[in-house]
Amino acid sequence: MKFPLIGVSQAMNKVRELVEHVSDTGLNIIVTGESGVGKEVVAQNLYYKSPRNGKPFVKVNCAALPEGLLESELFGYEKGAFTGAEKKRRGKFELADKGVLFLDEIGDMPFSLQSKLLHVLQSGEFAPLGSETERKSDTWIIAATNHDLEQDIKTKSFREDLFYRLNIIKIHLPPLRERPEDVSVLVSHYIKIYSNQYNAGKFDMPDSKIMAKFIAYHWPGNVRELQNVLKRYMVIRDWDEILRALPTMEEAPVVMSSQPKSAGQLQPDPSDTIVNTGIQNLPELYSSDFSAFSLKKIRKKALDQVEAKAITHVLTHTGWNRSKAAKILRVSYKTLLNKITELNISPPSDSVL
Amino acid sequence: MGVLNTLLIIDDNEILLNAIDDYFSKRNYKVYASTNGLDALKLLETHGEAIDLIITDLIMPNISGVGIISIAKKKYPKIPVIAITGWGEHPEALAAEANADKIIEKPIKLNKLEDVIKDMLAQKNLNK
Repeated sequence: MKFPLIGVSQAMNKVRELVEHVSDTGLNIIVTGESGVGKEVVAQNLYYKSPRNGKPFVKVNCAALPEGLLESELFGYEKGAFTGAEKKRRGKFELADKGVLFLDEIGDMPFSLQSKLLHVLQSGEFAPLGSETERKSDTWIIAATNHDLEQDIKTKSFREDLFYRLNIIKIHLPPLRERPEDVSVLVSHYIKIYSNQYNAGKFDMPDSKIMAKFIAYHWPGNVRELQNVLKRYMVIRDWDEILRALPTMEEAPVVMSSQPKSAGQLQPDPSDTIVNTGIQNLPELYSSDFSAFSLKKIRKKALDQVEAKAITHVLTHTGWNRSKAAKILRVSYKTLLNKITELNISPPSDSVL
Repeated sequence: MGVLNTLLIIDDNEILLNAIDDYFSKRNYKVYASTNGLDALKLLETHGEAIDLIITDLIMPNISGVGIISIAKKKYPKIPVIAITGWGEHPEALAAEANADKIIEKPIKLNKLEDVIKDMLAQKNLNK
C-alpha cells in the first residue's frame, strides 16, 4: 500500500479496524480531525480496500475556491454557460463516476452550495451549469473536515440535513499529542522514506533522548509537522538544532480540544458555565434562551471533570503506576487506559523524560 | 414459547441497553447487545443468519444507526429493523435517512417494545 496508516496506539488500531469493516459498504463517510492528522490518508485507505480501487479517486478542496468556481469545479459546465465558458468542461462528479469523490474541508463549503450537494446526494443526479438535463452520478462520497460540524449546525453555517446525509459513518483521527506512543513509529517510518527520497547517504537515527523529546512535544501541526521536522533534518543533519527550533509549549498556541470550536460560535456553552461555576452563577443570558442547553451534555461534562480529578489524584499517588491505580479505583486496567486517553490526562511533564 | 428468537440491540446509552438486554434475556430471547456501530457490525457479520430482528439507536459513535440499517438491509434484507430515536435530539432530517421498518421514540416502554417485536416477528414468519 502506498499510504499506510501508521501507528500502534489503540486509537489508530480502531481507525484501521473501522476502515477494514466499512470500505466495502459504499456508504457516505466523514473523516474528522485536526489539520495534519492524516484525514486524506484514511480516505485513500478506504478507497484502496474498496471494490472501487482502480477507478478514479478525485479530490476537491472545498476551502480553496470561491463559491462560483467551486460549483463549476464540482458539476462542470456546458459551452456558453457563462461568459468565458468557451468549451464544455466536465465536473468532478463526472470525473469521479464509479470511483471516489473526496471532498476535503467540507466544513468550509459555502452554505448555498451545500444544498446543491445535498440534492446530488439525495437524487444521485447532477446538472452541469448551463445544462438542462441531469446526469446520473455513481460516486462514493468521502468528506473530511477539521470543523466541529455539529457546532457549525448550531451557528447555521452547515446544513443539518447535509450533515446527517454525510455522517452515516464517522472516522475520527485524534491529534498526535493524544497518541504519543505513535511518535516513534512515525519517525522511523518517515526517516526511512525521506532518506531514500533525499538520497541521504549516512545519517543518525535520533537517539532515545531525542526521541523522548519528540514524544513529549505536543505537535500542534500533527503528523504533517512531524514530517516537516524530519525533512528539515535531512537537510541540516543536526538533531540538536532540530530540537532547538521546535517551539516550546509556552510559545506555541495550545489547542485544548481535539475538535476546535467554530470561530462563529456566538455564545459560551452553558454546560461549561454550569459545570465550572454552578447553576446559581449562570449568566442572565440563559434566563430565556435555552437553545444551547442539554442535560445530557452537562451530566457528561460534570462526570468527566470529577472522574479526571479522581483519576489524576490516584495516579499521582501511585507515581503513574496504572495497574496499581486501576486496583484502587476498582476498574479494569483497560478501562483506566481508556479513561486516561478519553479525559486527556497526562503525567506531569518532568516524569515523561 | 418454543422457538428462541434472537435480537441484536445497539444503543450507546449503556443503561438503556442493559435494561433492554435484561428484559428480553429473561423472556426467552437470545440477545446480542452492542454500544457502538462497529461492534454491532461485527456481531452482524458473525451471527447474521441467526439474527431475527435488529433494534438500533440512530446517533452513535463511528458507524451510525443509519449506516447499520443500510448494511443490514443490503446483506440480510429479511431481518426487520426497529430504529429508536431520542427525546427530540434526533431531528427529522435524521429519521428520514433511516430505512427502518419501524421508528420508536424514547422514552421506551419495554412491554410496548415487546408487543411491537412480537408483531414484527409474526409478520416475518408469515412471509417465510
